[in-house]
Amino acid sequence: MRAADLINHSFTALRAGRVRSFLTMLGIAVGIAAVVVLTAVGEGVQRYVLREFTQFGANLIAVTPGKTETFGVSGAMVSNVRPLSLDDARSLERVPGIEAVVPVVQGNAAVEAGRMSRRSMILGVGSRVPDVWSMHPALGRFLPSDDFTAARGYAVLGSKMGEELFPDRSALGERIRIGSESYRVVGVMERKGQMLGFDLDDTVYIPTSRAMAMFDRESLMEIDLLYSAGLSSGPVAEQVKRHLKERHGAEDFTVVTQDQMLEVLGDILGVLTIAIGGLGGISLLVGGVGILTIMTITVNERRGEVGLLRALGARRRQVLILFLLDAVTLAGVGGLIGLGLGIGLALLAGALLPALPVSISWFYATMAEVIALLVGLASGVAPAMHAARLDPVEALRAE
Amino acid sequence: MRTADLFGFGLKALGGARLRTALMLLAMTIGVAAVVMLTALGEGARRYVVESFSDLGTHLLIVLPGRSETTGAAPPIMGETPRDLTLDDALALARGRDVEFVAPLMIGSAPASNGGRQRDLTVIGSTWELLPVRHLRLRQGGFLPKGDADRASPVVVLGEKTLKELFGNQSPLGAWIRLGDRRFRVIGVLEPLGQSVGTDFSDIAIIPVASAQALFNTSSLFRILVQAKGREAIPKAREFILDTIRARHEGEDDVTVIAQDALLSTFDGILRALTYTVGAIAAVSLAVAGILIMNVMLVAVSQRTQEIGLLKALGATQPQVLGLFLAESALLSILGAISGVLVAQGVIWGVARAYPAFPIAAPLWAPIAAVAVAITSGLLFGWLPARRASRLDPVLALAGG
Repeated sequence: MRAADLINHSFTALRAGRVRSFLTMLGIAVGIAAVVVLTAVGEGVQRYVLREFTQFGANLIAVTPGKTETFGVSGAMVSNVRPLSLDDARSLERVPGIEAVVPVVQGNAAVEAGRMSRRSMILGVGSRVPDVWSMHPALGRFLPSDDFTAARGYAVLGSKMGEELFPDRSALGERIRIGSESYRVVGVMERKGQMLGFDLDDTVYIPTSRAMAMFDRESLMEIDLLYSAGLSSGPVAEQVKRHLKERHGAEDFTVVTQDQMLEVLGDILGVLTIAIGGLGGISLLVGGVGILTIMTITVNERRGEVGLLRALGARRRQVLILFLLDAVTLAGVGGLIGLGLGIGLALLAGALLPALPVSISWFYATMAEVIALLVGLASGVAPAMHAARLDPVEALRAE
Repeated sequence: MRTADLFGFGLKALGGARLRTALMLLAMTIGVAAVVMLTALGEGARRYVVESFSDLGTHLLIVLPGRSETTGAAPPIMGETPRDLTLDDALALARGRDVEFVAPLMIGSAPASNGGRQRDLTVIGSTWELLPVRHLRLRQGGFLPKGDADRASPVVVLGEKTLKELFGNQSPLGAWIRLGDRRFRVIGVLEPLGQSVGTDFSDIAIIPVASAQALFNTSSLFRILVQAKGREAIPKAREFILDTIRARHEGEDDVTVIAQDALLSTFDGILRALTYTVGAIAAVSLAVAGILIMNVMLVAVSQRTQEIGLLKALGATQPQVLGLFLAESALLSILGAISGVLVAQGVIWGVARAYPAFPIAAPLWAPIAAVAVAITSGLLFGWLPARRASRLDPVLALAGG
């Protein structure tokens, strides 16, 4: 028998038991659709999170005080016996490959403008924020590049802060009070949105040294570094480490590159996607049991046909392939229907719920179809073997 | 026909095609077991989180420095404020009528060394009250001394992992270790609590709050933990905290007070929703199993056309034939559901034995819901084949075969 004949034969067989084939395929299709929809949601969430992280530009290295291995809040961010100082930040500017440095102190204070007052986040930062965090002022300019230790009293407002404090006029040039000090507004940032719970629009940016004085602390919470675009993160991070070790005499800080952070996040989210895809896979498994059941019944019903084929000289291998192909076709066509169903559902969900990040992962969709074929193959083996082993004489007599 | 007859007939029909019946049962079993096991997993995670939260303390109010104006926004988890929370603030809170304990909390990191061994530790500065508030237990020695919070006595209580790293198998009590540039005498070791939300309590050193202020050269507290006198006292205690701090901070509301219970119920809600979702996703497989039952029943009806014709010729009514085939589908789904629940309980039992720390348990509604969904899907998908059987024309059925 030629391959074309084989395929032709199995489609004829499928069409002969139309309802039966349709229901079997439906079982597989539901399973595949579940896998496709679930992995689409998983992939969507993964992309969403990664985008949140990369919106602050690539080529970032963060230095935090204290030696920690894990992510999360370390006690060292709060207080520390061996602080990261402004001098550390300044000296890092001289490390080859480092383009810009932002020393960060974060706090919370009341901001007053005329009779308006608002409590929110205060970020003590350097002048290079537009480059390092790739966020730019919508009005005016960012903080000037004063000396770290003698910065002038200028402040830049986040977009929401600007609207709240100066609802009816431009904030530029106005005076505001933070803590007990007076600042002049030199810029308002463009809208940036939330980032992991921090609302960067509801923020006031002031020079680091002034924030440290206001909050009465000597140590920085973080130093963010931007390295040249052409370099790879590993060697630069190594140099930063060596440089700080020389200054401190010990490795009492942590250097994390954005690449490392993205990698860890990507790994975690990837595992999650596979896990929820696996949940959908349970239905696929049940669908496979369905194919097995129906194929068993079919082989039983077609005993006479098998006997005839064998009597006409068909070899066992050919009968085996014939029935295997039946099962694979069932699964494959069911899988394709499921793909269409799943993609449609995912697109529909994405359109109806814009908050839900949906992104169809072609990798997982292809994987699902391949798995469907494999499920078909696996559940076809036992019935096909049974058919191939039939004794032609006995089988013919069963007719 | 009586109901017993209906089911007896169904059982016999199922027994006639054993392999087919076994496969359909397998499909149902997988579906039901998946639902029960996954919800048990979700429920286990929920209980785990709830338990670790109650380890954190009950009726607890957490006072953080700083406040954000936007309602609904995240509270300022970290960061500094121009006016610190001080030890005096904490002591003032202790005078409240609805307040049971007040534990000031400082946190920082410092290198600790004993002889040649060195290690970077999370150091917590607090008072004796931390012991009851956080439900800590001691394995050896005592906790920080009761009494004057302003006294900077050089004593330290170590977590279990810290102890191993710094002392190995030596006895630590009475030994001196170095934290930063100061020396502290070890007076106690904590019972291992495991990772409770946030900080790993096995890898820490606890020192008196005044000593921590000197060590880190700062007077600002990271948190104040306040335990109210009971669940009803929580709102009044919160009122009292806000009033007291406002009075002490020149009329400014510059702290955030979070009730532990509110936090807990948020997590509880999220994990409950997650459990339902996971259960529902697994229930899709029940629908697939239902489709399979329908398929096989359709095949069975066409194979047993003659038998149906005979029944009808003998005077069986349409509802009776319908009942016969529906009983068969119902039997399939009930048996499958029962074996699914059994399999799931077996796996849950095994997991519970292998990981005693993880409180895995199927919520009561899970097996009930799974069985109900299974039976419903069996009846629903069994309806079509049963109706087809009942509508067969007796003469044609007998002749057609």
